Amino acid sequence: MTTSAAAAPAPVPVEDRLFSLVLALVATESGLTKAEILSSVRGYAQRFVAGGDNANLERQFERDKDDIRELGVPLETIEPLGEPGDNHNLRYRIPKGAYDLPDDVRFTSDEVALLNLAAMVWREGSLSAESRRALTKLRALGIAADEPVLGYAPRLRLRDAAFDPLTQAIDRGQVVRFPYLKPGETRARERVVIPLALVQYDGRWHLSAEDLATGKGKTFLLRRIVGKVTSGRAAPQRPGDHTARALAELEEVWQRGIAELEVRAGSDAALRLAHRRGTEEIAPDVVRVHFVDLAILADELAGFGPEVLVLSPPALRDAVIERLTTTTGDHA
Amino acid sequence: MPPPQARDKLAFLLALVPWLLDHDRVSVAEAAAHFQVSEDDIRTSVALVALSGVPGSTSTYQHEDLFDIDWDAFENDDEIAITQHVAIDDAPRLSAREAAALIAGLQYLQSLPENADRANLRALVEKLSHGASAQPSQLAVSGDAESVLLTTVRRAVAEKRRLRFAYLNSRGEREERDVDPLRVESIDADWYLRGWCYLRQALRTFRFDRMSGVELTELPIEHDAAEILLPDTLFEPSEEDLEVTIEAAPEVIGLLADYIPDGALTTQVGERIRTTLRVSHYHGLKRLIAGMPGTVQVVAPEQARRAVAEWASAGLARYA
Repeated sequence: MTTSAAAAPAPVPVEDRLFSLVLALVATESGLTKAEILSSVRGYAQRFVAGGDNANLERQFERDKDDIRELGVPLETIEPLGEPGDNHNLRYRIPKGAYDLPDDVRFTSDEVALLNLAAMVWREGSLSAESRRALTKLRALGIAADEPVLGYAPRLRLRDAAFDPLTQAIDRGQVVRFPYLKPGETRARERVVIPLALVQYDGRWHLSAEDLATGKGKTFLLRRIVGKVTSGRAAPQRPGDHTARALAELEEVWQRGIAELEVRAGSDAALRLAHRRGTEEIAPDVVRVHFVDLAILADELAGFGPEVLVLSPPALRDAVIERLTTTTGDHA
Repeated sequence: MPPPQARDKLAFLLALVPWLLDHDRVSVAEAAAHFQVSEDDIRTSVALVALSGVPGSTSTYQHEDLFDIDWDAFENDDEIAITQHVAIDDAPRLSAREAAALIAGLQYLQSLPENADRANLRALVEKLSHGASAQPSQLAVSGDAESVLLTTVRRAVAEKRRLRFAYLNSRGEREERDVDPLRVESIDADWYLRGWCYLRQALRTFRFDRMSGVELTELPIEHDAAEILLPDTLFEPSEEDLEVTIEAAPEVIGLLADYIPDGALTTQVGERIRTTLRVSHYHGLKRLIAGMPGTVQVVAPEQARRAVAEWASAGLARYA
């Protein structure tokens, strides 16, 4: 054992192998075949068996390619002329022009300070890691930030487990499937959609999507996606500015959604509802509020207990009564 | 913060090389400060780069196909000077997701009143899109900050002036507070002020939507953010906190994370999860539980169960 261990080359760290692969693929003009890569690039070459079975190493290479592409490095595949579909002679390369940050993408120190603040907005979840990595890359440009903006830390929370798989599916153009608990229903139902955009509106994340079966546009609340999101086959292309459209639609729903509430003067409910965007006092202790999702507003109002009485719409009144009844029953 | 993954380390190497090439000779300390990493991280990465290269025409790594550094300067003076480089010399592009994460963060900043007229935010978004290797992911944030209050509180923080306001605590009591404002934070659509409270003689967190009659006084603050270590979590656990046992549907556990103390015992009971919440009093608890109907149930103590039941039935009585 001691002898063989001494003879075996020291394992190459993952980042070393990935770095060597990037260098090799940037340096080549005409591209390298998989066999050339596995037999010569550091991290693969040590484990390559000439004329033997290199299946593990090939799988490793496939994963490494994905990792490198996820990082925004444009790793290209070139099919040999006249031999489409011939996997053995595919060549891989990273064109230098597509790799380098364009010359006009340069930042002032004021802008770098803003970018640092923008990265801090994400305090958890994958966007936090993504934005930190973006800052690392931009530090290559050597610009130091202006004085950090003190006393200020706006941040967005990302606790929806569905967020990561959904952004990934949007980027890769894949169809997704997930169980969705529609407001007012007690059992989740499986949905299959083309995901188009994720937008945060009124502090909540929404998925804008197209129903695969009906072709209709749908908006889903991420917190009501109650199970695993699985991504499947390639989705048909849906070009366009989906984020702007989704936000405009939500704004429209919000404008139309109106509730009238009687609030107890001086209570927590009175103060907090008065702080909501768009709240109007229409009579003494009666306020008109806007909402997007009736079920969510009903949850919120139920939390205020006796401090709020719903005057209209009737559906909201019923929903709040139902919630208070449930809570009373659960704690009897 | 999770430990850096191989991908993060690779991004770091790809950024470090062009930066070093722009600096003929630079100290390890300076590089560490610029990239905000430890000096050891810099030394390890430089050593890795210095031995890297491309397999040349013979498919083996020859000296002329490798990076090289001034090893004497590196080993004796802790200085870095790349003497030979291969393949890369420029900063790498951003990925679609990296650009999208920064852009969505900028959109959020733009929705804040003091940034509304910062024209450079839009230009910055365009530059980021242009610097990405693919179209940035479809992500957007629409904010609706409370502009008047936020502007006043922000000014108080910037000018280091004491604030006075009426605060309605979750017990329903209204109190006049004098506060040295230290930091403004927002989580999703909710805004918070963290500051030194003269009434409580302690660091406190205030929700914007419970503040009223906010007055910016001429008094200078006596407690500085630099002197007081602001914890990263919004809500500080206290010795007087009450512990409550609950059972919740798995999908809502995340929404309760702020109230679940570190190391709380969590067990599966049927389809539900049983765990412990820490709350300062039952007044806050009853609002929290009544706002998550059917998904969370208080199991013990009896007094807490009763507080929730009474709150909900008082609410129900209004419809009778």
